[in-house]
Amino acid sequence: MGKTLENQNRLLGYVRSFGTPRLIITGFVLLLFITAPIVGVDLTMQIGNVINRFSWNAVLVLALVPMIQSGCSLNFGIPLGILAGLLGGTLSIQLGFERFGVMGCFFAAILLATPFAVLAGGGYGWLLNKIKGGEMMIATYVGLSAIAFMCMMWLLLPYTSPTMVWGLSGEGLRTTISLDGFYGEALAGFLAIPIDPENGLYFPTGSILFFALLAFGIWAFFRSKTGTAMTAAGSNPQFARASGINVDRMRLLSVIMSTWLGAVGILVYQQGFGFMQLYMAPNNMTLPTVSAILIGGAAVKKASIPNVIIGTILYQSIVTMTPTVATAIIQTDISEVIRMIVSNGMILYALTRDMKGEGSR
Amino acid sequence: MKKRNFLFQGLLVLVLVAIGAVMMVIGRGHTVYFDNRSLEYNGTNYDSLYKIEVYLGGSAEGEAVARLYDQERGMATQVGQSMTLTLVITPEDGGEEADPATYTIDLPYNMDGIVINLPAYLEGLPEEAYLTEFVPLVTEEPEEEIDLGGDMGLGDF
Amino acid sequence: MKKKQRGTFNLGRLLQNNIVPIMFLGICIVCFPLSGRSPAYLLNELVTRLGRNTFLVLSLLIPVMAGMGMNFAMTLGAMAGQIGLILVADWQIWGIPGIILAMIVSIPISILLGVFCGSMLNKAKGREMITSYIIAFFMTGVYQLVVLFMMGPIIPIAHDSLKLSRGFGIRNTVSLLNMRQALDNLLAINVMGVKIPVLTFLIIGVLCLVIIWFRRTKLGQDMRAVAQDMEVARDAGINVDRTRVLAIVISTVVAGFGMIIYLQNMGNFSTYNAHSQIGMFSIAALLVGGASVEKASIGNAFLGVILFHMMFIMAPDAATTITGDSMIGEYFRTFVSYGVITVALIMYETRKRRNRSQTGYLLALAQKEEEARGK
Repeated sequence: MGKTLENQNRLLGYVRSFGTPRLIITGFVLLLFITAPIVGVDLTMQIGNVINRFSWNAVLVLALVPMIQSGCSLNFGIPLGILAGLLGGTLSIQLGFERFGVMGCFFAAILLATPFAVLAGGGYGWLLNKIKGGEMMIATYVGLSAIAFMCMMWLLLPYTSPTMVWGLSGEGLRTTISLDGFYGEALAGFLAIPIDPENGLYFPTGSILFFALLAFGIWAFFRSKTGTAMTAAGSNPQFARASGINVDRMRLLSVIMSTWLGAVGILVYQQGFGFMQLYMAPNNMTLPTVSAILIGGAAVKKASIPNVIIGTILYQSIVTMTPTVATAIIQTDISEVIRMIVSNGMILYALTRDMKGEGSR
Repeated sequence: MKKRNFLFQGLLVLVLVAIGAVMMVIGRGHTVYFDNRSLEYNGTNYDSLYKIEVYLGGSAEGEAVARLYDQERGMATQVGQSMTLTLVITPEDGGEEADPATYTIDLPYNMDGIVINLPAYLEGLPEEAYLTEFVPLVTEEPEEEIDLGGDMGLGDF
Repeated sequence: MKKKQRGTFNLGRLLQNNIVPIMFLGICIVCFPLSGRSPAYLLNELVTRLGRNTFLVLSLLIPVMAGMGMNFAMTLGAMAGQIGLILVADWQIWGIPGIILAMIVSIPISILLGVFCGSMLNKAKGREMITSYIIAFFMTGVYQLVVLFMMGPIIPIAHDSLKLSRGFGIRNTVSLLNMRQALDNLLAINVMGVKIPVLTFLIIGVLCLVIIWFRRTKLGQDMRAVAQDMEVARDAGINVDRTRVLAIVISTVVAGFGMIIYLQNMGNFSTYNAHSQIGMFSIAALLVGGASVEKASIGNAFLGVILFHMMFIMAPDAATTITGDSMIGEYFRTFVSYGVITVALIMYETRKRRNRSQTGYLLALAQKEEEARGK
């Protein structure tokens, strides 16, 4: 009797730590998977799509981990990294790296993005160290300002590659650039396993491997001396400082890592998606990315690799499955609205929770 | 203190609801169409008139909203539950213009567009004879694409 | 302790405190000859926009007073206003009665949304701004659910001209032709070619008086006390949470009215996008007027709307002159709007940190003194 009660309590405690919204979302996704075959949706196709979309987005979500761990909270400034990635990508095309093959073009883009990411991340990290406690709001607006600034730059920078600039005027980059013949499918096409080749559905082995590699790198990093110091700086800055850790340096490093991963993340996204989107598009990545990691079980101050994987799978399941399933059931596409409510509701939930003892005004 | 507050708030709500109700009555807009057409009612034929000039308000001054010859239709908008018109009628070609006469027509609340047959109205027929609802033609159009994505702050403010 | 650093007049500090308005004045002065616009055109535009936007900007003042920072969730009020307008457009209530009715309809919606937002912010003390920013997005989703799916089957909409051809949901654009500028045109006077919407300005004036009066009421004093120090306020018997919720509710209701005034001037609105940037632009305007996250006055709102809109009107033309592309100007003004908010937020956070370390320093000093005396 006592034991069952204890078990019950443990279960309750588990549920509580998991959080009601997360439970609802998981339930919702399960429901989607159950109803899909009933209403006549091709489940293989759906699962294949989820895997593909996971492979596009996972690195971006992974990019949030270092900053959360070092106490810089949710990186609403991820557009900064994305912009660095876009610079790398456009430069790689402009400089004609496609002559080294898709892989060459892709890794050249990463290499070219790196200095921008490090520079931007450095400045951004320095700024975040000046305003500890108010990171999220300032990160949001740094990201937005950077996007608006780069909007001007996309028009003004002297790009000339005919695939990228507007055909008529010959100057200013297009809003959407096709990556066919550049680094489109650079990773996804590597060792791809056919699932449903008639519908163009493949298992993106290369992308998944690349993500696994990066995720392993991050995992290993947080087990290294610097990594544990970073976690310490995040979980208890006073204590970390007392034990001789340079908290500001750790935070700076984490921001640079986050920004660089953001740059790589958007390039991975693009190679899967097949297009590069400029101008206002980076703005559409921020909130979905943040909410994905939160759905996966991360908190404002704590995140792990499993959070990234679970969160991305759950989030992308909602994004890919709701349109088809909802359309099959009620003949209207309500998915965009559901996605908006779910993702922002998740962020809202995380923000209104576990607030004790930090960030008080 | 609490009770007084509660009373005060209740009163405020009542006042707002009352204002809202008044606005619904005095603000209801109608589009009114005037017809100068002949029509048949209960077996009797009512002929259209040669010319009707329609003025809004109680006098025939200012610009006429419509000058209706035989079989013509005019249009005006009216906010509120009734409409005051002044009509100047010329019954026959080359005939004398009659003196301006002022009429007040009640407008049914639930109709957006109202067609008033003036010859029938002038004959003093009941409302169902001179007043019909104007039903706009439904045109099939392609479903528009719903634009949910924000534009991140481009555009005007 | 707080006022210790003031007192002495310091030009550097004065400049530093007003850096944003001064910067903006600079931008406007540079843009003016480049834009090639006549002063008469500018003045006309400016007066129109002053009437159109000031009410919205003023809605931000009360939460600042209550120490909750910039209310990014004023968008919620804008949504309530839009729902009011959609319903009134469907009921075919025209002109000023339509505007008044839309305002009345928006009140309960605003209150409901305001209470939700306020109680959320009470759970996120210390990070109100980012939370209100996310609430705005969250509620946009709910708004879309209501307007796109519930209007028609659940909330009756009679007119097909409002509905999508599938039979439910509202079209992309709602026309307000029947109440377009009804408020602005009543009592409008024309001074040397500049149309002045007297009634709109009168309404804004009344709101200003109400805000001034409100500051002196018990509730207004409570809000200031809460802004100073929540713990102290709570000890003084103030219901802190309730006071904060009320601040947000008032802001949301005022924002709803402001949105209706704004949209009657525009004459139509985009159903799903009109509200989305209102919060950002209003906040940017207020900050341009020299307000900060913890202090904002009516004067800031007026100055802000004037300076911000000068830039807004001239930037596209100026950019066309320089680069031959008006898009650059549009991006530029967006960039400046975001940039201003970023700079203001950074200044606020650094000042907060400086104050905190100063307080810590003074405390340490006092402690040392105590110890010395003890010996």
